[in-house]
Amino acid sequence: MNKTPLLEINGLHASIANKEILRGLTLTIYPGEVHAIMGPNGSGKSTLANVLMGNPNYVVTAGGAKLLGQSLLELKPDERARLGLFLAFQYPVAIPGVTLVNFLRQAVSAKQGRDVPIREFRQLLDQQMNLLKVDRDFARRYVNDGFSGGEKKRAEMLQMAMLQPRMAVLDETDSGLDIDALRTVAEGVNTLMNPEMGLLLITHYQRLLNYVRPQFVHVLVGGRIVKSGGPELAEELEANGYDAYEAAAAATA
Amino acid sequence: MTSTIVQEERATRLGMRASAALGEQLADLPAVAKLRAEGAALAAALSWPDGRRERPWKYLDVTKYDLEGLTPAIGAVTRDLVEVRRSCPVTGEQAALVVAQNSEIAIVEVSEAVGLSVAAFEGATGTAAATIAKHLGSRVAPERNRFTALHYAFLRGGVLVEVAANTDVRLPVRIVRGFVSPDQFAAPHTLIVTGANSRVTVIEDFHSSDGELTVVPAIEIVPGPGAEVRYVAIHHWGEKTRVFLEQRTVTERDSAIIAAHIVAGGAVVKGHLESSLQGRGSSSELFSAAIGTDRQHSDFYTVQDHVAPDTRSDLLFKAALSGKSKAVYYGLTRVGLGAKNADANQVNRTLLLSREAKADSDPVLEILTSDVRRVSHGAAAGPVDQEQLYYLQTRAIPLKEAQALLVRAFLGQVIGRIPGEAVQDELTDVIEERMARLR
Repeated sequence: MNKTPLLEINGLHASIANKEILRGLTLTIYPGEVHAIMGPNGSGKSTLANVLMGNPNYVVTAGGAKLLGQSLLELKPDERARLGLFLAFQYPVAIPGVTLVNFLRQAVSAKQGRDVPIREFRQLLDQQMNLLKVDRDFARRYVNDGFSGGEKKRAEMLQMAMLQPRMAVLDETDSGLDIDALRTVAEGVNTLMNPEMGLLLITHYQRLLNYVRPQFVHVLVGGRIVKSGGPELAEELEANGYDAYEAAAAATA
Repeated sequence: MTSTIVQEERATRLGMRASAALGEQLADLPAVAKLRAEGAALAAALSWPDGRRERPWKYLDVTKYDLEGLTPAIGAVTRDLVEVRRSCPVTGEQAALVVAQNSEIAIVEVSEAVGLSVAAFEGATGTAAATIAKHLGSRVAPERNRFTALHYAFLRGGVLVEVAANTDVRLPVRIVRGFVSPDQFAAPHTLIVTGANSRVTVIEDFHSSDGELTVVPAIEIVPGPGAEVRYVAIHHWGEKTRVFLEQRTVTERDSAIIAAHIVAGGAVVKGHLESSLQGRGSSSELFSAAIGTDRQHSDFYTVQDHVAPDTRSDLLFKAALSGKSKAVYYGLTRVGLGAKNADANQVNRTLLLSREAKADSDPVLEILTSDVRRVSHGAAAGPVDQEQLYYLQTRAIPLKEAQALLVRAFLGQVIGRIPGEAVQDELTDVIEERMARLR
């Protein structure tokens, strides 16, 4: 195992609209690792994703988060992205008037800190679109505008492929997908994963984990990780649900 | 006493005597001379539009400008023709090119001669003179208000674009008008007359220097049955130029007008755009994309009047405003008693990029028949969508670039509606260049 952690989250507390959602979350991810955070609705899953990415609606009240040894919390979302963090959104927003291809070109140039020549960009785009089995017309459409649930998730994967992050957080990537779409997206994730990269899957259900196998599974309840284990923990949650964990968390709160 | 004398003297600058002198100097065609005298008499009788009583002028008090003190564009002003041609910011190919400096037509080049004729009013002969005599003043009437009256009184640099029946003019006709003399009152006129089942695109590219100028253009569009006219005005005005523009089209059976105004300059750009859908099955599409900076005021009043059955109108006006700039939109879509099966859509959107930028929007529907296919309208003004901004930032794009991307997209949706790939590319460049000024 590599000695330098990729992502280190330490005693993180965060709130939205003065309501505390994360209450001391700690998690470390090393390169090459796939982690899954599972939790019931309202446990803080999406908050964690947004706080890591720097959504201005959330306020961090205590604790820290580092990527490659650098503290994330002072950085703007675009700076975090350039550092190598990527968030695949649960509900990506539509941007009418901006074509996916133009958006990607600007994003890739910003990420790489140079004006990527059009030919080089085209080559990269073609390659990644083939890899993810994305239709060629796809890139000419407006970003997420009128996309089906599956198309949105595929577009998120394409962005991830183009930006080549060191640490990717996938927020409920399985929601709203039928089984075929889920399989395609999962294949994409597996293709993109590499030994230098870390992956954090945030999910309510176990079904994505059948296709993208995590080494570590964590249970998030009440803004804290209450249990960590291997893949078997996901199966246990699928069978028994979160009730026992929620009851225990309520008792200690 | 002294002040009275000064006032009288100033008033005559845009008075009947000056108007007559201009007509004499230009050796007016009889039709032009008649309208000039009419305009001068009306201008002397009419007062400036009053925003308290006239709705289209509600947000623009023109009495605060010293319009009486302006000097009409009289006298020879053309510079060296070779130099004019060289300084003329023209790229790409066109069917015909007209270059006017300070209202004087310097160059007329027609490269696609079959079925297309382009002529200056001044010195027009034969069929061109006959067409001018027949149509000039038929769409934009001198008596509409004091600006239109003054327009005819001091009309100069008129251009006729005439297309024969069944002619598809593939490349655009380009009219480049530059105004460089300060304290001037200029009244350029563009008359587009097309035969049955023809098609033409006219791009009018307006420029002016940084001195104070008032320009009152009129565009009259006369499409024949089944003909399509595309008219694009690019407002590249200098920072102290005030513009009061009139554009009016009357359609015939199955004819179509598509007109766009791209506002990328000017202290005041006030446009009154009107399409009277008198031909059955005819259509009107009006578009505008404006970028407001500093204290710019862009102000459009539109009328799309469905008179005949089976007529269609569409409208999309957008403005992105920074600084203390302001955009005013007041639009009327009228569906008359005889306009059965009308299809009308009218949308106005404004992006407010600063707290001090302002938008006033009032799209109005007036429907007199119950037998319509579809009639809709909408208006909205607000800041850049924060969720979209965040999303772009999470993809490594810095805030300022993300904001620019969203503004470009916002206005780009208007550009995307204007037919012709080359035209779209040119207009995208205009927007792009102007966006550098947004703060």
